[in-house]
Amino acid sequence: MKFRAAMAGAVLIGIVAPALASTPALAKDGEVIREGSCTGASDWKVKAKPDDGRLEVEGEVDSNRVGQTWNWRIKHNGTISANGTAKTKAPSGSFSVERRMSNLSGTDTFIFRAKNPATGEICKGTVSI
Amino acid sequence: MRLVRSPVAQFLVIGLLTFLAILWMTRVLSARAAEAEAVAEARAITEVMAHSVAEPEITAALVRGEAGAIDRFDRAVLAQLLARDVRRIKIWNEEGRVVYSNETEQIGQVFELEEDQLAVLREGGISADLSELDRPENELDQTDAGLVEVYTRIRAPDDEPLLFEAYYAADKLKLRTTEIFEPFSRITALGLLLLLAIATPLLWVTNTRLKRVAAEREKLLLSAVRASEAERRRIARDLHDGVVQDLAGTAFAISGIARSTTTTPVARKVLNDATKSLRDGLRALRSLLVEIHPPGLNAESLASALEDLTAPAANQGVTAAVVVRNMAPASDAVVALTWRVAQEAVRNALRHANPTTISVTVECNDNVVSLHVTDDGIGMPTSLPHDGRVRFGLQGLSTLVTEAGGTLEVEQPRAGGTTIVMRIAA
Repeated sequence: MKFRAAMAGAVLIGIVAPALASTPALAKDGEVIREGSCTGASDWKVKAKPDDGRLEVEGEVDSNRVGQTWNWRIKHNGTISANGTAKTKAPSGSFSVERRMSNLSGTDTFIFRAKNPATGEICKGTVSI
Repeated sequence: MRLVRSPVAQFLVIGLLTFLAILWMTRVLSARAAEAEAVAEARAITEVMAHSVAEPEITAALVRGEAGAIDRFDRAVLAQLLARDVRRIKIWNEEGRVVYSNETEQIGQVFELEEDQLAVLREGGISADLSELDRPENELDQTDAGLVEVYTRIRAPDDEPLLFEAYYAADKLKLRTTEIFEPFSRITALGLLLLLAIATPLLWVTNTRLKRVAAEREKLLLSAVRASEAERRRIARDLHDGVVQDLAGTAFAISGIARSTTTTPVARKVLNDATKSLRDGLRALRSLLVEIHPPGLNAESLASALEDLTAPAANQGVTAAVVVRNMAPASDAVVALTWRVAQEAVRNALRHANPTTISVTVECNDNVVSLHVTDDGIGMPTSLPHDGRVRFGLQGLSTLVTEAGGTLEVEQPRAGGTTIVMRIAA
């Protein structure tokens, strides 16, 4: 029983982990960009850059389907900074949200998470700056 | 010099100096009041920001230092908190931890609170002070103009006291001070200038009227002096041509009878005594005539007339000296005026100055006659007029001399005494 559970876990990690893995993208001065694939067919992208004493954080989901409703939230150093609901729009079938965050001392870590309640697909990206 | 003596010019100078002094004082006092007003306004703004903008948005998570809560607070209130002249906002807890700062990198840092900050935190109220920029918590606020910090107490949702601190740029407060002060300054300056503008013409009119009255009074005085002069001349002439001639004839006749061989010795003695008495009377009468008005006074006879004038000085033990030089070019009118001034000056000296010597010097150089009457007495004020006697004497003569185009001055040598100086064209 224990062996089966372990095997199932290994299979799940083998399938899900590559899907949520992020890859760094090309960025402008001071800007950090992370992108990756969601648990379904969608892709996510998270950007963070300094802006006049603050940090501008942008989360984006591209599902290629127009009119999908996604619940999203951004955590800053582990606590919710902003959340809301967004719809994917034409022509790309994507949505993006952008918020100004405090630039605290040390490294600021932002986790962008979006969930499609209709399909259960989850997108989650992390960026540190 | 004449301008300086003008009452209107004096009023204008004193008025302008007073205006500048009042303006300066108003500026100092208004600046103080305006500064206090600007600080009071900063305190009022801080109170409103603290209790109406910041306090309602403070959450327990913010006080705990959660980054998400800081973001939400920052987005909700920052624009409103940095309105007006506010340069920095900080919210502290009692331990000195920065719960929030618009310079977000300071959030979470701990600094030691000052006594007055702790007092406000514990007891409430509001306080304003000049920021000490060398303190560690102000390292990001280095400015030449300085900062004014205003702080008050607010409360977290769990009733924990927090210190809300707003920093204002001192130069902005100064600008605000100027904005408050300038209208008052303009009102004061305009008011004073208006007062000067109204008062000056009024003073000028009053001064003109007074001058006119003084001129009329001088004219009257001049007329009186001239009438007196004419009367003296008439009396002198009548006495000289009438009584003096009659008395001289009578004395001559009696003297002749006294010398007659038919006259008895007793009668001769009586007649000789009568002749002597008549001649003494004649001498006294002639002296009086000279004093009233010297007969036939002209440039040639001036010296002897002045000798006669100073002759009575010897009776008072005063040594008198008369010098007359080169008076040929002088007209009879100038000679008469010179004699009158000398007469008044000598008379004043003998009556009031108690001198031991008097000198009278008259000379004509370059067609200008100058008279110096100098005594070594107790002196008198240089300004004319003096006392009542001198007032009507020298002031009347001064008017006469001025009318004739000359000048009359009183000089007081350092050695003492008085010198009356008249200068007039010959």
